[in-house]
Amino acid sequence: MNPWLSMSIRNAIRRKLRTIVTAAGVAIGTAALCSLIAFERSYQAGIQGELDRLGAQILVAPKGCPYDAASMALHGASWPCYLKQDYLARVKASAGVASAAPVLMNAVYDENSGAQWVYQGVDPEILALKRGWRIKGALPAANDECLLGATSATRLKLNIGDKFPLPGLQAGQTGTVCGVLNTTGDADDTFIFTSIGRAQAIFKRPRQLTHILVRLKDPNMLDNVVADLRGCDAGMDMNVVPLAHVFHTIQDLINSTRILLGCVALIAMLAAGAGVSNAVLMAVSERTSEIGMMRAVGASKTDVFLLIWLETMSLCVLGAAIGIAVSASTAPALERWLRSRLPISPESAFVHLDAAAALLCLALAAVLGTVACLLPAIRAVKLSPVEALRTGANSG
Amino acid sequence: MIGTENTAVAEALVKEYRRGAETVRALDGVSFEIRHGEMLAIVGPSGAGKSTLLHLLGCMDTPTSGQLTINGRSTSGLADRELTRMRRELVGFVFQHFALLPTLTVAENVALPGLFARRRAQKHADELLERVGLSHRRTHRPHELSGGEMQRVAIARALINSPKLLLADEPTGNLDTASGESILSLFRALNSEGLTVVLVTHNEALAKATNRIITLSDGKLVSDLRRSE
Repeated sequence: MNPWLSMSIRNAIRRKLRTIVTAAGVAIGTAALCSLIAFERSYQAGIQGELDRLGAQILVAPKGCPYDAASMALHGASWPCYLKQDYLARVKASAGVASAAPVLMNAVYDENSGAQWVYQGVDPEILALKRGWRIKGALPAANDECLLGATSATRLKLNIGDKFPLPGLQAGQTGTVCGVLNTTGDADDTFIFTSIGRAQAIFKRPRQLTHILVRLKDPNMLDNVVADLRGCDAGMDMNVVPLAHVFHTIQDLINSTRILLGCVALIAMLAAGAGVSNAVLMAVSERTSEIGMMRAVGASKTDVFLLIWLETMSLCVLGAAIGIAVSASTAPALERWLRSRLPISPESAFVHLDAAAALLCLALAAVLGTVACLLPAIRAVKLSPVEALRTGANSG
Repeated sequence: MIGTENTAVAEALVKEYRRGAETVRALDGVSFEIRHGEMLAIVGPSGAGKSTLLHLLGCMDTPTSGQLTINGRSTSGLADRELTRMRRELVGFVFQHFALLPTLTVAENVALPGLFARRRAQKHADELLERVGLSHRRTHRPHELSGGEMQRVAIARALINSPKLLLADEPTGNLDTASGESILSLFRALNSEGLTVVLVTHNEALAKATNRIITLSDGKLVSDLRRSE
């Protein structure tokens, strides 16, 4: 090992308890910062990715909370209220609408397996929106046909042509697999798709829909189409939700969480920096005579600064490495906690620490160490060799 | 007066310190020269200015007035960088309390000034440890050594950059008589090889073992006695 680094590390661990406490402070700060960065990057990307894969620019849903509606449309759920199917024609008639896909969604609980299954009634128009879908087989056309998401097919152990009892539904309700969806990476993988008519029959919702997914001819026409749909007769019963606005509003809603986490991380890092600075200041004070000796035997001011900087760096890098490990290992628990509190969260992991985020945290810890070492290092550098030796002799 | 036969030349050296509102004159017009290969002792009561003079000779400080020349170079008005270079290249220091770094091994302590001089000094450090009879202790830590051994390590460290002038501040002050005598023998041996050695001491026996005794009192040089060979 480089002798400078070796000497600095050995100095850093001379007071083991102090080193542990100081490094723990850096670890807490880094863990908070790491978790915030992991959340920032993954959450935004997750929500944006899901909205993109939904393929729609506008969600038409029953009256109610637009974010609940967006969340249910994205992840699958039983809806508390419904739209009249007649509104579909009005939506399609709006200038600027390229495609409008009706959906009837319902979630059921399968007592046998203890699993929840989400059924979606769709019509062929859905393919105009879900352009990323790759289907082995075909969309459901006949009354008993079902398209299975990739995960559903695996869980039910079914292939095209297989006949099966529809899970979670009354005995006697059966389906035939007409197609299997390639993995999409979102909630569609876990759904069972039927025709609209079959879903309406199963869930006893004749001529009703849960939502309509709308794709525009030109995304710039968003405001015009939204104004048109909100202003029409059916507009009183419909919740016309521009999904881009949903994304921005979700970002605004979680801003308070981000700011809170950011403040925690900032305070933790500042406290850690103060702790590091204080620990190194104490070390410099204790080792005044050693600094004097080193200056007497030929160490320059730069050498003294370098030694103290390396010592501070070894403390900060050790703390940061522990913090990153803690952040990575607690990410699933943090995600569960956030998932239960956020208005909407993506299906995919959204507190995901990647190498870039870890490196960024390490770099920030290095910056923190550099700033924290300035005061003690400058104090050490300013010591005259004579004064340092005299202090050491007096304390000795 | 500045000749190549001199390692150090002091002319009317004055060193003043501020102590609160008071100005303390630690050295008051001290003049002398130290020839190459001399071994001398600086003696005097506490507060006489011995350590101040040693610090000036060791380029750790500069005089308030007067001239001090080390190996032909005046230290007056030199920047810290230049003083550091002179300490590194010309001077070796031995301290009363040894001043070894407890986290380093004996060999690493000896090589430390080489590190600051950006030189690979480990091989030379091993040779010096052999010279002071401590090669078997090279991987030990200072706390595992006796006082005499620690001082021999400190002497080896002072020699690592091949200095022109070896300065020792009370080198036997913390040692028993036997260890003190062993250290004195080592100084004599180094001096006999041509190294200039300056000892600051209260120890009469140590002072008498040198060729010359400079006595300071109240910052003034009161006697400069050379022992005839």
